Amino acid sequence: MRKKILIITVSLLLILSLAACADTDVVGNESVDSFEKVLGAMENNVAEDEMNGGWALTSPDGRERFIWSKDYSAGTPHDVMLEFDAKPFIDAGLDVTKLPEGILIEDKIMVGSNLGDEELTYDGGATPIGSYEKLVELYRDRVKYHADLDHYGVDVGDGNMFEWAKDMGINDKDIVFVVDPKMFTDAGVDPVIVEGWVFAKVKVMDDAGKPIEVDKFLKPFSIQ
Amino acid sequence: MGKDTLKITGMTCAACSARIEKVIGKMEGVDEISVNLATEKAVISFDQEKTNLNEIIERIGKAGYGASEVKEKKLVDEDKLQKEREIRTLWTKFAVSAIFAVPLLYVAMGSMIWWLRFPIPSFLDPMQFPLNYSILQIVLTIPIVIAGYRFYTVGYKAIINRSPNMDSLIAMGTTAAIVYSLYSVYEIANGNFHAVEGLYFETAGVIITLILLGKFLESVTKGRTSEAIKKLMGLAPKTAIVIRDGKEYEVPIEEVEIGHIILVKPGEKIPVDGVVLEGNTSIDESMLTGESIPVEKKTGDQVYAASLNKNGMIHFEATKVGGDTALAQIIKLVEEAQGSKAPIAQMADIVSGYFVPIVFGIAVVSFLAWFIGGESLVFSLTIFIAILVIACPCALGLATPTAIMVGTGKGAEYGILIKGGEALETTHKINTIIFDKTGTITEGKPEVTDILTITGVERNQLLQLAASAEKGSEHPLGEAIVNEAEKENLELSKVDHFNAIPGHGIEVEILGIPMILGNKKLMTERNISLSELEQASNSLAEEGKTPMYIAMNQKIAGIIAVADVVKASSVKAIEKLQSMGLEVAMITGDNRRTAEAIAKQVGIVQVLAEVLPQDKSNEVKKLQAEGRKVAMVGDGINDAPALAQADIGIAIGSGTDVAMESADIVLMRSDLMDVPTAIQLSKSTIRNIKQNLFWAFAYNVIGIPIAAGLLHLFGGPLLNPIFAAAAMSLSSVSVLANALRLKRFKPYK
Repeated sequence: MRKKILIITVSLLLILSLAACADTDVVGNESVDSFEKVLGAMENNVAEDEMNGGWALTSPDGRERFIWSKDYSAGTPHDVMLEFDAKPFIDAGLDVTKLPEGILIEDKIMVGSNLGDEELTYDGGATPIGSYEKLVELYRDRVKYHADLDHYGVDVGDGNMFEWAKDMGINDKDIVFVVDPKMFTDAGVDPVIVEGWVFAKVKVMDDAGKPIEVDKFLKPFSIQ
Repeated sequence: MGKDTLKITGMTCAACSARIEKVIGKMEGVDEISVNLATEKAVISFDQEKTNLNEIIERIGKAGYGASEVKEKKLVDEDKLQKEREIRTLWTKFAVSAIFAVPLLYVAMGSMIWWLRFPIPSFLDPMQFPLNYSILQIVLTIPIVIAGYRFYTVGYKAIINRSPNMDSLIAMGTTAAIVYSLYSVYEIANGNFHAVEGLYFETAGVIITLILLGKFLESVTKGRTSEAIKKLMGLAPKTAIVIRDGKEYEVPIEEVEIGHIILVKPGEKIPVDGVVLEGNTSIDESMLTGESIPVEKKTGDQVYAASLNKNGMIHFEATKVGGDTALAQIIKLVEEAQGSKAPIAQMADIVSGYFVPIVFGIAVVSFLAWFIGGESLVFSLTIFIAILVIACPCALGLATPTAIMVGTGKGAEYGILIKGGEALETTHKINTIIFDKTGTITEGKPEVTDILTITGVERNQLLQLAASAEKGSEHPLGEAIVNEAEKENLELSKVDHFNAIPGHGIEVEILGIPMILGNKKLMTERNISLSELEQASNSLAEEGKTPMYIAMNQKIAGIIAVADVVKASSVKAIEKLQSMGLEVAMITGDNRRTAEAIAKQVGIVQVLAEVLPQDKSNEVKKLQAEGRKVAMVGDGINDAPALAQADIGIAIGSGTDVAMESADIVLMRSDLMDVPTAIQLSKSTIRNIKQNLFWAFAYNVIGIPIAAGLLHLFGGPLLNPIFAAAAMSLSSVSVLANALRLKRFKPYK
């Protein structure tokens, strides 16, 4: 009996200590390396975005941006966000008056989330990858691994994502902007005629872990 | 030539018993070895000049199993305690294993069975935190592997000894699952998150848990198969009251020695066998004879261990103790029978010997075939594991011995001692059954019914002389005459000359008178005319009475007729046997008329009369020569040659006499209904064995191709190794459960 209790106790302790161990977060850690490679490959498309208090990665066609904060205490509306041209959607029937407030800024659509209000500090100053590391460290649940495409991604909220290939060498979709179409279709957009965006079914897990297929606007780019 | 029984440990399936038989059978000096998986015992005959028990035990140890000598006097409870310990250990192992297997399965499968909405903490999400998910599974698997470590130690040792067994299959299957899973974890740690699909820890964990559950259930069920022997063992009292220097001392039964004077009070059990020195009582000996009517005991009478003293207080002297008592002999007989093998088991034994290597071969070939055929490594590995795990040599190994254990145990419960698997199997093939008359069909206690004399000879004179001549005779007819003379208070004379003529009678000289006492044949041989009494003799014979002719001075002097009473159960038993399709015959040394009269009373048509004891076996041989399977039912003493010659010898009588040595089946009671019961029990047991073997073979023949992906080949599902493990465990348990159905067997009444 004592042996049994010992085995159970040791095992439970091991489980708890493992759960607390960040080193076992291979997806989080690997995503940092992978994102760094993407940033390296798009060096010219990465810049500081003072207005949004963070860093922006602009798509090769210059119409979309993925923005992540370098300091969550800065009071910007979004800590992670996607920004993209409204025109293709307006051309496809978007009634801008039907969009929720704050989504359309000038000719850009912005979707994102406010993560928190932590003041981020960096050894040797903030860098794009350093800010991403902070994101992984503080809001790991926002970082996803998309097994079907072998992509990592940052969930910017409301079904919108920025994804990038785990291994750009073997993946034809190196970065992908993923936008939930509901808001747009509700506002009159005919999803199949949005120029530059692919309206497609994407396999995801619902909250219960059930595999489901949902509609998404996708804009993939090959950067290598 | 020595013969010993060893207790074997570490056997898990028929391949183990086959391995031990092979290894020890090859040893110089070993004549014969029979290993029984169900009783976990080996009976070995060996030449003591060429080898010894220690060498044999050592060789068994080298083969990967434990062996120890079974001491005759070993306490019954020790075996029981050992079994209980084994069951407790298996339960603990299963419990530990299950405690970790349930969360392991939950974590591993929970995310896949989303419709049940099992909440999985986010830090264990297999896609987002695959390493946490994997390491947790490793942590949960380790205690399970520890609980099932015997599968690995025994299984791999068996492989090294080139005698793979069931444990080897489990060890190889789960090792493959664990090693591949560890490789997958390595891959995950290196960023290949898809490797999360290659985790098989839960498969290994649940397989071990299910097999442990199966082993536990098997152990419990196995224990129930030997309940009959435990019941017999439980009959013996634990203590005895020994009288020393006039004082009473209560001592453990093991300390009672031959010559001790023992006191038994009313309501107590007799502790050992002995002879009554003082007191009168009646004793219930139903545990020995099956007869529920208590037997009166007085000074000089035998008493037997475990029989119940009803009303008087007696002092008796211990004559047989420990393993020598009648009860111990019965237990030994039943144990030997339970440990013996039936010829029907041979095929299963042969198959078991090759089973594991063949299964391993099939697993490897299937793995390669699917892999080369384009399936993934994970798919092919699933096939490999499922085949190793589903294959169940244990069911094959248990099919026969468990049924024999329950069958012989059930027989013992009803006072039918079947002396081995072979006897049990042969009995169901019997188509002809020969009954001895005296003491078998009849009570065997004949009484004098008529005394006929010729003119000039007094009735009492004839009885007195005949009784004097027969005094000391063990022949039932002689005993009847002596009893009659005693009843009439006749004083017996000294016999001057005595000559026994076996099967015919005796020749004596009393008070200077030469006398011949015997049957008609003897009188004819001695040219003694019977004409004067022939008519009376015929009438007596027609009434079923046995006439004994008495000649004095070479001249017939008279006839003393003796009649035996037919047992109450004889008619019913013979009718039952005939309704079962058996041909029933009666054999006797009596004259034909008497024999036919008795046969008519009980419904037997075929009568073999006037057969000398030494010729009885020839009559059996003749019937065997006609292609019949013959059973001989007799009292086991004067019918010994016929009992031995018959395919099955059935002795009627108590377990205290020579009958136990000479027959294949001993009926403890004198009730002839036990004969059809024994045959029916044999039929039921053999049917049960056949069912067990069928299911054991069918299970493997169907299970292995399914595990190999046969259904998948035609668009069907692939067998999950977890279900394979569950099926494997259930197959052994179902065979045991089927054997236990025999416990419901009811004797004919």
